[in-house]
Amino acid sequence: MASHPVGNSNHHLLRMENVGKVFQMGEVAVEALRNVTLEVRDGEFLVMVGPSGSGKTTILNLIGGLDGVSSGRLWFRDRDLTAFTPGELTRYRRDTVGFVFQFYNLVPNLTAYENVLVSTELSREPMDPLEALRLVELDERLDHFPSQMSGGEQQRVSIARAIAKNPALLLCDEPTGALDFETGKRVLRLLLDLNERLGKTVLLITHNSAIAQVADRVVRLRSGQVVEVHDNPRPLPPEEVVW
Amino acid sequence: MSVLDRKLHRELRGHAGMLLAVTSIIAVGVACMVTLASSYRNLSEAKKLYYAQCQMADFSIELKKVPLSELDQIAAWPEVAAIRPRIQQYVAVDLEGVSEPLNGLALSLPDRRQPVIDDIAVRQGGYFTDRRDNEVIVNEAFARYHRLRPGQWIKLILNNQQQELFVVGTSISSEFVYLLGAGTITPDPKRFGVFYLKQSFAEEVFDFKGSANQVLGRLSAAARGNPKEVLRRAEQRLSDYGVFTTTPLEDQMSNKFLSQEIKGLESFAVVTPTMFLAVAALVLNVLLTRIAQQQRTVIGTLKALGYSDMQVFWHFLKFGLSVGATGGLIGCALGWWMASGMTRIYQSFFQFPELENRFHWSIHLTGLGVSAGCAVLGCFRGSKAVLKLRPAAAMRPNPPRSGKTVVLERIGWLWKALSTRWRMVLRNLLRNRLRTLAGIFGAAMGGSVLVNGFMMEKSTQYFLDFQFEKVLRSDYDLLFKDERGREALDEAAKLPGVDRAEPMLDVSCTFSNGSYRKKGSITGLLAHAQLTVPRDLDGRPVRIPAHGLAMTRIMAEHLHLKVGDRVIIEPIKGEKIARTAPVVEIADSYLGTAVYAEIHYLSRLVGEEFAVSGVQVLGDGNPRHREAFFREIKQMPALQSIAGRKDMVRTLQETLLDNQRVIIDIILLFSGIVFFGSILNSSLVSLAERQRELATLRVLGYGPWEIGGLLFRESAITTLIGTILGMPLGYLLTRVTAAAYASDMFRFPIITTADIWLWTLAYAAVFALLTQLAVQRAVHKMDWLDALKVQE
Ligand SMILES: Nc1ncnc2c1ncn2[C@@H]1O[C@H](COP(=O)(O)OP(=O)(O)OP(=O)(O)O)[C@@H](O)[C@H]1O
Ligand SMILES: [Mg+2]
Repeated sequence: MASHPVGNSNHHLLRMENVGKVFQMGEVAVEALRNVTLEVRDGEFLVMVGPSGSGKTTILNLIGGLDGVSSGRLWFRDRDLTAFTPGELTRYRRDTVGFVFQFYNLVPNLTAYENVLVSTELSREPMDPLEALRLVELDERLDHFPSQMSGGEQQRVSIARAIAKNPALLLCDEPTGALDFETGKRVLRLLLDLNERLGKTVLLITHNSAIAQVADRVVRLRSGQVVEVHDNPRPLPPEEVVW
Repeated sequence: MSVLDRKLHRELRGHAGMLLAVTSIIAVGVACMVTLASSYRNLSEAKKLYYAQCQMADFSIELKKVPLSELDQIAAWPEVAAIRPRIQQYVAVDLEGVSEPLNGLALSLPDRRQPVIDDIAVRQGGYFTDRRDNEVIVNEAFARYHRLRPGQWIKLILNNQQQELFVVGTSISSEFVYLLGAGTITPDPKRFGVFYLKQSFAEEVFDFKGSANQVLGRLSAAARGNPKEVLRRAEQRLSDYGVFTTTPLEDQMSNKFLSQEIKGLESFAVVTPTMFLAVAALVLNVLLTRIAQQQRTVIGTLKALGYSDMQVFWHFLKFGLSVGATGGLIGCALGWWMASGMTRIYQSFFQFPELENRFHWSIHLTGLGVSAGCAVLGCFRGSKAVLKLRPAAAMRPNPPRSGKTVVLERIGWLWKALSTRWRMVLRNLLRNRLRTLAGIFGAAMGGSVLVNGFMMEKSTQYFLDFQFEKVLRSDYDLLFKDERGREALDEAAKLPGVDRAEPMLDVSCTFSNGSYRKKGSITGLLAHAQLTVPRDLDGRPVRIPAHGLAMTRIMAEHLHLKVGDRVIIEPIKGEKIARTAPVVEIADSYLGTAVYAEIHYLSRLVGEEFAVSGVQVLGDGNPRHREAFFREIKQMPALQSIAGRKDMVRTLQETLLDNQRVIIDIILLFSGIVFFGSILNSSLVSLAERQRELATLRVLGYGPWEIGGLLFRESAITTLIGTILGMPLGYLLTRVTAAAYASDMFRFPIITTADIWLWTLAYAAVFALLTQLAVQRAVHKMDWLDALKVQE
């Protein structure tokens, strides 16, 4: 395989090359990722599975520009993300990435509506926050503060916040983790629609292997390494997934 | 309003308690600054204007008598811009209905209005008219006190004759901003007045046709920096006419007091506010560190969403700025209000045509700027660590605080002796170094301000006691116009109601030791005088030597003399024959630079057998006798003035002590706010930070009072340590203050009695307890279940 991805930029939205990530915790160094090479294709629905602590969130953080690699390189189209200045990284996060956090990370002092607004205020072509909340079926609870909502509701606000800024790349860390079966399916459907109709690239982490059935490709991680990348020629619609 | 601003708004409201703490400290700092700086500007600008308006003299020369023609030459010197000869005489005043003898100073003024050096500003009525010779303009304060109005007649004893004078107006003048009678240190408008007479009339009654006994002068701009040189030449030039004193403006009494006050304000305006604002910056730093830590995840999330570091920092900064601006605005308002209070106090001491509390934009803007700056500093330091984090790191839960053992745990026996609660308290204090330090610092500043206030109060009391109970003990001092013999003493002793009379002889002279020279006077006393008792610092009487001088320390230091040295004495009046005398004793004085000698010895030194220039008397306390005493005194032609010690002490108490009381109340209030603010802040931050830990304790069965008790132990320790550290600081502060106000005339005693420290501790304890009430309320209001649920 060509070591230089520039020519592939139409094809690859993102590419990780031999990426390693080490966390220094005082005396001990935790190697969260080792030699990860992985590409994300433009417009695909990619699912990442793996046991807890295998490095899924770490990869997502690197791709989302929330953290820096310890070794290796990370390309976004034909640009080296690892060489970005803080300003460029900020712009990248602002304009390109939509993040759904594993722990929702809503701003406690803002209502559901305002939590969406906080991200749309930044972006150039945002969705109407109301519209985004309607999509996650929360338009009834606009004025509620995070502390007044259940975990699942908070998660959906977090999804609304990510999609509302209309990013090219949606990074979802266990977006259905706190949701019941029915709601989970609806959220999946929503993400698939965004992927299919609007051409957004979706990268989704899950513990739940069943969800992997809706993906175009599935990446399996173990102990900070990619152990399997597997194409799914016939993704199932979420409605048919058996949870 | 952007979403983040809405968040800010809610957070500001959510932290109301802590913000109140910080805001009030900032407000106090700014208020201090605005008060002192405004008072400084009010006074110094009023002074400048007034001096220009009245053409304040740059120097004055007092002499026996000089023909006006002799002055032309001096007037022609290039260094001298203008001169004005004047006649001045001490006079006695006889007012109807006032039994007590009153003194005053009569000054000549041109018959027709014309601008002159040391001019007056007419307040009521007008200037002299052509209708009579015997017209008088009375200084406003005296006139107001005695309800004298233009059109009334008053009686003055001028040159031993009683004269009826017609009051045409009242006035003030820049040379008497701070008007002192002979031998007093605070203005006493009741007992001392200034009386301006027509030049022609003064020449007539004082027998000064074509001559003067005082020369006022203005210097050219170039010579103004060095008046001493001109004065030296003038003194030489006029030596035939008996020059008593030459006084450059800087030594002029009124100017000296006024300038001293302005100088004191200037240094105060920097020191005190800096202390308060330093506490504010630290406390704000603690608070914002806490808020930034609490909002780690939010910060990380915002950054992950695409907010730049600047945007997030700006968000935080707005938080700090709103606190700073609120504190600053309150401080400015408070400062403005207090400055009008200060100015009112000054109005009672100083006579100005218009001394008012003006609004100084630059000071208020500086106040706001400084408070904002200190908020920005606090914000920056508080949020820096969190802002530096990459979003991924910031979003992870706070790393558990290192469970490392604290220093104390290594001292095994001590640690074992402590109860669990004390261990929790100590661990928490030692693990949150910055917060603990901020608490200690706040208490130290509060404590030092308390010490400063108490020391000032003590110092004034001690000063009054030392000077007026121990050193000067007479009821009245009678001063004669000229030196007299023994008969003057006998005459005074026979006055009604006089229990004791002691002679004194005041010899004005120039002291010199090598190149060190100083004008002053020697006071001759009986060897066993009881009405003036020089003392040393410990209050022990200093012996008046039979031969030689007992010199006050300030004077001795000034002349570089020590016991055993000889000093050259050159009398100013009479035969000016220089003599030398040994310094035999050193005495202490907080007031003036007296030099004492045995009266017979001193008399011989000036070529007399036994001379008396005044008599000190002690009354028997019978009011009827006092009336008779006054009546007789008024008939004594040789008397120049009478100074009442009791009156002086009373005036001092009314003015000095009362105003000081107000200032000390303000100090108490301010230090209370500093204590309250810094303790409240530490406790509330501690409470918020340890919500879960404390909530767990509650679940384990601790009651709210016990939780509050834990917090109180923490604040008690920081407050105690801080207050104790603040004590030497307060002592230093007092020394610096005392040094700023010290002058030849006046020194602050430094008093360090035990009660100062005890009171400081007591007040600190009261403030800490009061603050605990507010903390306890917060503990009671806390939602324990919520605290267990939240994840940080
Ligand atoms: N900031 C950090 N400091 C230290 N170790 C870290 C840090 N972030 C992640 N790790 C470690 O790196 C490894 C991978 O973590 P990561 O969060 O990527 O796992 P994950 O696959 O997302 O797990 P989960 O499914 O539980 O969310 C883990 O062992 C974790 O403890
Ligand atoms: Mg994870």
